Amino acid sequence: MMIFLSYLCIGVGLVFWFWGTSYLVGQRSVLYKLHSLSVSDTLGSMSILFGLLLRRPREWPLLILALICLAMWNTMLGYVLAYCTARDANDHKITTSAVPGEFYE
Amino acid sequence: MSLMEFALIAMILALLIPLYEAWSDSDVWQTLLSFASVSTKASVMILFVSVLRDDWMIGIVGVIILSVGNAGLMLLAQILKRLGDS
Repeated sequence: MMIFLSYLCIGVGLVFWFWGTSYLVGQRSVLYKLHSLSVSDTLGSMSILFGLLLRRPREWPLLILALICLAMWNTMLGYVLAYCTARDANDHKITTSAVPGEFYE
Repeated sequence: MSLMEFALIAMILALLIPLYEAWSDSDVWQTLLSFASVSTKASVMILFVSVLRDDWMIGIVGVIILSVGNAGLMLLAQILKRLGDS
């Protein structure tokens, strides 16, 4: 039963990986790709790690540390990247959409 | 070849997509996004291999990459933003 559950979690994780990464190749905006990628990478990887945990319960300290690091850092990285790219997009909008001769602050 | 090895090959294929995107795209943010994804996927694959081989020295490397790798990317994003501002 545990083996079946671990295969199931690993399979779900792989589906998440392919689903989120497929948006990366499209022509969407950076923020859209960032959202789908961070969701799929974080949740997919956590599902795979949980599958590994079911398979090797003896190594639970290391795998739980990996799960916590993944949940924390991937979320934070997604936020930082979103903040940096959104600021870049706004600056770009101000400079390019200004009417010639009219100066924005 | 067991089911776990099939899963590992599927992971390697999933890893190639962001690598292709990083190679083909010129926007710095999309490239950073792709490499962040490569980093996460590679570290999960390292943990996967360490479970397969039951060798936990490799597992520690995967956990260290997960906990420190993204911090480096965050600093890089801040630097790129400052460069864009100035």
